[in-house]
Amino acid sequence: MLCTVALPSAWVNASRLEDALRLSGDPHGAAIYDVHILFPVGCKVMVDAAIRLLSLINQLSFCTLGVRLNFEEGEAGTMGYLNRVGFFDHLAPAVEVLPARPAVSGADIYRGTNLELVEIARINKDYRDETLLSRLTDALMCACGTRNDAGELKGAAWTIFAELIDNVFSHSATPLDGYAALQVYTRGGKLKVAVSDSGLGIMQTLRPALRTEFPKLTALSDTDLVVEIFRQGLSRHGPDRGCGLKYSAAKAIKFRANLDVRLPNNRVLLTPAAGSYQANTAYGYDQLPLMWGTHICFDFRLNG
Amino acid sequence: MDEPLESTTLRLADFMTSPQGWGREQGRVVYNKLLSFVESRPGTILFRVSIKGVTRVDISFASETIVELARRYRGIKGFAFIDLEDPDMLENWEAAAARKNQPIMVWNGSSGRVIGVEPSQGTVEAFLFALTRPRTRATEFVKAMPNIAIANASTKFKQLWEQGFLLRRENVAESGGVEYVYLRIGGPEV
Repeated sequence: MLCTVALPSAWVNASRLEDALRLSGDPHGAAIYDVHILFPVGCKVMVDAAIRLLSLINQLSFCTLGVRLNFEEGEAGTMGYLNRVGFFDHLAPAVEVLPARPAVSGADIYRGTNLELVEIARINKDYRDETLLSRLTDALMCACGTRNDAGELKGAAWTIFAELIDNVFSHSATPLDGYAALQVYTRGGKLKVAVSDSGLGIMQTLRPALRTEFPKLTALSDTDLVVEIFRQGLSRHGPDRGCGLKYSAAKAIKFRANLDVRLPNNRVLLTPAAGSYQANTAYGYDQLPLMWGTHICFDFRLNG
Repeated sequence: MDEPLESTTLRLADFMTSPQGWGREQGRVVYNKLLSFVESRPGTILFRVSIKGVTRVDISFASETIVELARRYRGIKGFAFIDLEDPDMLENWEAAAARKNQPIMVWNGSSGRVIGVEPSQGTVEAFLFALTRPRTRATEFVKAMPNIAIANASTKFKQLWEQGFLLRRENVAESGGVEYVYLRIGGPEV
């Protein structure tokens, strides 16, 4: 059976991507053999959506589904942007691209020339990119250097990126790569840094350990549990682990960054309130179409 | 007379492949090198950990390296930071130590502070007293604080030793019995 994901003729951030996935049914569904993703004229995929989409497409291809991406505007449209950020460099070879895969990689040609972009980087613990953290931090500082708290932000951002990427290594357990990318949106006054992996979701690894490690939390909903992961720091390995995400969140809160966490079947949006991420200001979405792994995006404001 | 305390300075950067330390896996590799270094010096009980040459560490790396080493040797060997001035790095070491409930001293010249865990209200006075000198006996504390009984003072120092705030050595007292000498972790030798 064919599943068609039709993206809208508009800016496509992670929320709009979710809308399109929901309307499509479930690309990972048992009866699905082919998935077509349509990028109409006027569709502009943002970086958080781009790397989630990349992970999802590679997951589907890994499951031997036939995947076709149809870019109606060709390279003049969002395909050109995706080529510039390195989307096609990481796309599974079996995926069909219409009108055709770009002949040359824009990311390869222009990598590092735009200070407002860190092209999609592969995260694989066997091929650790030692320069990635510095590149992400430098790009963030280039965009946010005029903030009053720029000095503090630099160290905090480095730690946040380090913990997020290390978290991908820890939870990967998959042959599929994870990805990280950053894009500044000057007009929107924000910067998005997104990290995505196709491994076991945080919830899949944590839920089974709750009964022994954190019995009081077994009754929490997935949304509330995600909040606690970032608030208290929870880990399947017990109370002296799990500090990475907690302190990353604590640092991000200082700079009033919003946090978007997509898990295999749910998504939680966290907005800082009273100096922390709270359950009562978290927006949770359940029963979403399956997307393996954990996908995290921090939104920083450019002007503090 | 007290025997001199055998100590050494350990430069963390010498155990790392780059000035930036991040991730649990890299931390575990560095930990194994640190462990070999410590095990090759069985007589050394104090390690001054210099952060010179390290530009950044994340919390996971901090947790897997010096903090884990300090926890493993709690009460037996002590690890104290020197040359740690960067506030962001300090915050990450502090977060990692707090998560493992492991106190670690940070020294800036002769001024020291503990990160990770604070001593309890009942022992803080004894801890601050011990910080002012390289070695402390319960009897010396009682002499300075005459309202505290010797048994109570001994209990406070024992707790501080068990919790990793101080080190301890057994000495033969003039009376012939065993006397415990408590050692602050780091700071200048007088």
